[in-house]
Parts: sequence; structure tokens; C-alpha cells
Amino acid sequence: MTRTRPWRKALIALFVAVVAFTGYHAVRTVSDAIYWNAHRDEPIERWMTIGYVAHSYHVPPHVLHQALNLPPMPDRRPLGRIARDSGRSMTQIEAKLMYAIVHARPPYPPPGPPPRPFMRPASSTASPAK
Amino acid sequence: MTDQLLELLTTYGLPALFGAMILAAAGMPFPSSLILIAMGSFVAQGELSFWPVIFAGASGAIVGDQLGYAFGRYGGRPLLAAVTRRIGGADKVEQAEAYSRKWAGWGIFFSRWLIGPLGPWINVTSGLTEYPWVRFIVLDVAGEVLWLLIYVSLGRAFSDQVQTIASLLGNLTWVIVGLLGAGLLGWKLFGRSTEGSDDAA
Repeated sequence: MTRTRPWRKALIALFVAVVAFTGYHAVRTVSDAIYWNAHRDEPIERWMTIGYVAHSYHVPPHVLHQALNLPPMPDRRPLGRIARDSGRSMTQIEAKLMYAIVHARPPYPPPGPPPRPFMRPASSTASPAK
Repeated sequence: MTDQLLELLTTYGLPALFGAMILAAAGMPFPSSLILIAMGSFVAQGELSFWPVIFAGASGAIVGDQLGYAFGRYGGRPLLAAVTRRIGGADKVEQAEAYSRKWAGWGIFFSRWLIGPLGPWINVTSGLTEYPWVRFIVLDVAGEVLWLLIYVSLGRAFSDQVQTIASLLGNLTWVIVGLLGAGLLGWKLFGRSTEGSDDAA
């Protein structure tokens, strides 16, 4: 039995590590579930499209198009691409979107109807000031 | 890298999904559950259709799994044979193979969708132990289609909280893998302790 002792010790250490690992992920699972239930806003990421951000934050997409000075047409580019194409940083894009989102939600009045497609976006009210 | 990959997926859609699933199934560390849930969300927003997503994703994953299997069978097996010829232990390998044949079926099926992180490993060990290919592919197709259906449907149902759902499922998967590992280790450690070793530990 003494020959197997080191093995047993190593296995016990491994067992403890696996239990700790499992516990850690169990706690994170619960915290995710709480987060999900509370329906908190997700951080904006590079891969998201304007459509997804609008969908996730429950604001009309045209508000976000206006915020980024994009024409009011469906735009399926991910935000990272929009940032590159327009020479802006992701932080700038995120800030503009967040500003528009906050101002499209209560206590602010609901945003107006979307502008007609192909109309140049006027320097509109939803466009954030610097 | 995750960011760029997800950007490519949002830009190119189904062909990118197919390619990403091949690489993920072959063992590249891609956030494949986030990808599938995001795809489900795009389905909910009307940008993609449900069945083409399932088809492109599952076929990519199945192709990737065959790569892992082939690697184990045609790359790993000769290597293993060479090693056992030199240092012995062929009987141990045979024992492991018999064990693997007995349990591999369950492993293949469940590592497609319930314990996904083990998938790429099980592909290689299945090839390595010459698990019958026809049975491998039947279990593989069943498991991968189930995986796609579950994850894309969840993404579609909870389409506004993609990252939270992906994180939750990711953590839950690791809990299941962890419980499985702890159960196996615990059984090995304490299940035999009645045979006389000390319980004090």
C-alpha cells in the first residue's frame, strides 16, 4: 500500500482541484443566471451589428444609425468594421451608441419615427453632441 | 482573435459559420457556443434562416470531427505502435482500447453537445482506438445536429442577451465536465477505500 501512497496523494490533490474548478464554474453559472434574469444590458462588442445592439437594448435601429451618422438603411456590418471604415475607434463608437441609447429610453421622450430610407441624415436631434 | 472571428461571422454569415465549425471541431479554441447563440439571435432578427444555419453549422462540425478521427487513426495509431514497440506496454494499450470501445459510444454522443470541450479529444481517441467509423459518424451526426438545434434555438429564444446565455451555458458545461471528472476521481479514490487503505485523508 505504501507504494501507492504518492499516487493516492496526487489523485486527492487532483480531486480537490477538480472540485474547486467545478465550484468556481457553478458560482459563475448562478451569477450568469441572475444577470440574465435581471436583464442587464450587455457590453457592446466589436462583432455586434447595429441591428443586434438595437435588438438587445430595445431601441429602434434608426436611432443608432443616426448616432453614427450612417444613412438610414439596413447596415449589416459589425461595429468593428464600421469603426475601421469610418476611421473611428471602437471606444468612440461605443460612446456614441450609449449616448443615443440612454436618450432613447425613459425618462427621455420616445424617439420619433424612422426617417425615409435614402434620405441623407439631417444633423438630427438624436445625434450626440460632443 | 475571438473578436476578429466573430466579426468575420457577422460579415460573411453561413460560409464563415461552416469554416469556423470545422476548425472548432478539429480543436481550435473558438467560442463555438457564443457563435451558435449569436447565429440564433440573427435568426430571430430575420437576418438568417433557421434550417440553413443548422445545416451549415452541423455539416462544418461533422467535417471537423472526421479530421480529428482521421488524425487519431492514421497519424496517432502508427505513432502509438512505434512507441509500444520500443518501450513496451502494448497490453496496457489493448486494455485501454477495450475500455474505450465499451464507453466510447456514450462519449462520442455526449461530447457533441453536453460536454462539448471534450469533443476534439474524443475524436482523436476514437480514431486512435479504431472505433468503427460507421458507428462514429452515426453518433457524430446525431450529437452535432442536437447541439446545433439546442444552441441555435436558445439563441433564437433569448436573442437579446447572447453573451449572457453563452457565458451561462459555457459555465454550466464546465460544471458538468467537472462533476464528471470529480465523480470518476472520487470513485477511483474512495470507492476502493473499503479494500483497506486509510479513510483519514
